[in-house]
Amino acid sequence: MPIHDVGYRRLTNEKNSSLFRWLAICRIGVQLALKSKWVKRIMLTAWLPMTYWAAGFFVIEKQLIADQLSIMEGGGSLNQAAMLALTESITNRFSFFLGVDDLQNVFRSGDIPEIRNTIWRWMLMSFFRYPQAIVILFLVGFIAPSLISQDIRSRAFLLYFSRPISKLEYIFGKICVPSIFITLVTTLPALCLYMIALLMSPDISTFPQTWDIPVRIIIATFGLVIPTSAVALMLSSLTQESRFANFSWFAVWGLGHGAWLTIVLATALQMGLPLWDPEVMRSEVVTNWSAISLYNSLGSLQSYIFGFETFAESWRGIISLFGITAFSMTILYRRVSSPM
Amino acid sequence: MTSLISLKQITKSYKSMQALDGIDLEVRAGITGLLGPNGAGKSTLIKLLLGLVQPTSGTASFLGFDVRKQGREIRNRIGYMPEDDCYISGLSGVNAVQFSGCLSGIPKTESLRRAHEILDFCDMKQERYRMVDTYSTGMRQKIKFASAIVHDPEFLILDEPTSGLDPEERETLLKRIRLLASQMGKSVLISTHILPDVQAICDDVVILSQGKVKLYEPLANLNRTTNPSFCIRAIDNIDQLAQALDTDDVEVIKNPDGTLTVASQAPELPEIIWKAAYQTGVNIQSLIPARNSLEEVFLSTVTESPNTEEVN
Repeated sequence: MPIHDVGYRRLTNEKNSSLFRWLAICRIGVQLALKSKWVKRIMLTAWLPMTYWAAGFFVIEKQLIADQLSIMEGGGSLNQAAMLALTESITNRFSFFLGVDDLQNVFRSGDIPEIRNTIWRWMLMSFFRYPQAIVILFLVGFIAPSLISQDIRSRAFLLYFSRPISKLEYIFGKICVPSIFITLVTTLPALCLYMIALLMSPDISTFPQTWDIPVRIIIATFGLVIPTSAVALMLSSLTQESRFANFSWFAVWGLGHGAWLTIVLATALQMGLPLWDPEVMRSEVVTNWSAISLYNSLGSLQSYIFGFETFAESWRGIISLFGITAFSMTILYRRVSSPM
Repeated sequence: MTSLISLKQITKSYKSMQALDGIDLEVRAGITGLLGPNGAGKSTLIKLLLGLVQPTSGTASFLGFDVRKQGREIRNRIGYMPEDDCYISGLSGVNAVQFSGCLSGIPKTESLRRAHEILDFCDMKQERYRMVDTYSTGMRQKIKFASAIVHDPEFLILDEPTSGLDPEERETLLKRIRLLASQMGKSVLISTHILPDVQAICDDVVILSQGKVKLYEPLANLNRTTNPSFCIRAIDNIDQLAQALDTDDVEVIKNPDGTLTVASQAPELPEIIWKAAYQTGVNIQSLIPARNSLEEVFLSTVTESPNTEEVN
């Protein structure tokens, strides 16, 4: 039985602008990715670390407000002892994390707006760098491998390119799919955390002290999304079997980071220090080889964007990411063009 | 009549292989059949018209747009049904057609409405809600056809549209194509190996062979034999008539269905036939001009030597 049988009629509606045709590709990619139960599960899990970070903001703001009140009531200067205790606690607990030294120095300065800005930046950078990086590894690993490999297998290229769609629009539409998911599990919770921190702060004057943080979050998102999506799609374009692309994605992360950890282990043994000792991390050989890990390179870029590393410290990672992205995009473009 | 496709000295080479070799072609509006043996250059020609591959030399325009520079404008106005079994895995039939509409710029709600209308036009019922991955070849052909026409294109390029269809479905699809051409004014280029399809619906025929256009003629012209000839059906004694007609000037062929095909250079052939019938007393049941089968034309065209002059 026909559903809406009106015969073949002329199309009378205006067509959408040709600038946004890639949106259709992106929309269908997101729609297909959301059919996977695992993607939904990872998306939900991805928001759990936010609660831990929100609690961290609560503890820090409570301490900062107490100190601010103490100064306003003429009770002397910043409660140095309490701050130093907090610093010690953070330093001990997160000694392996980047930028802890910076935190100590700022805490010692006693400038509350500066302390607030630095500690918020540090917490959000850690949020990007540690729990969300792992989430992204799995999320992109589930979504991206099938995006192009399935089009190759089902010969869908002709469906796309016989339409008014260019190869670059196709690639852009595809890149937007993992990018949207990455944004949903990093940028959105990070911005929510920033809002939570603002709401916990004493008044709206906190915003002028920390306005740069949302901007850094957005820039860090671009720094994260572009290289990861480019690498994942490049791997997807190299095969018809999405499981091979999936395996390659984890291999790229695992082998690179595994090789770097081996270097760290060898250096630690050579120096006679524990693996997690900051001295080992700062050693020349470990720093020089850090860029072989995609994870470290992304971390370097994020540290630079959040202001915990200078360009001189993070250039290896940034150049490495730039090179990886350019290489991946070139291969991707060639692979997409080749079936024609 | 203005040409919709205009090719001038088009060549396309892939490394050492010459896929298209100096093609000159002016395709008129209507339904045109594109015939040729495998490797003749049909797919390359279609990709070139879509702006997906660039010609090595020559100039080409399609719907008035330069194929080299205005591929996007061309693809905005045409519908293409590929030969390959291509689909987007994980989509239902209706979503696949809707997605094709969205790619052509139709807003998503309108695209969904139109997808349903087109699927009704293509006689696709509730199975439109099933995943395309689970479809039979015939159903996928329908989805590809629906995707090609969802955005109301001016020109349709159909690559082997009836392959994989049963005879009934094939007949229905050909009717739909004819309807789109006659009632909606669409022009169609059909690339196929199935000659009866061309015979059934095409206005013109292009035969490609070895990268060259060997023939471009209206189908009606091809249906006429080169020499005047007639097909005769008689009530009785047809052998006697054959004997009377078989002279040096007249060639007589007895067909398996009991009819005679009579051909001669002489312009007064009908008079010769009637004279022979009168002399032998044979009662003629029908006397109609003989038709050349497209298969004969095709075979004689593609088996010509490579150096044969192009017919254009």
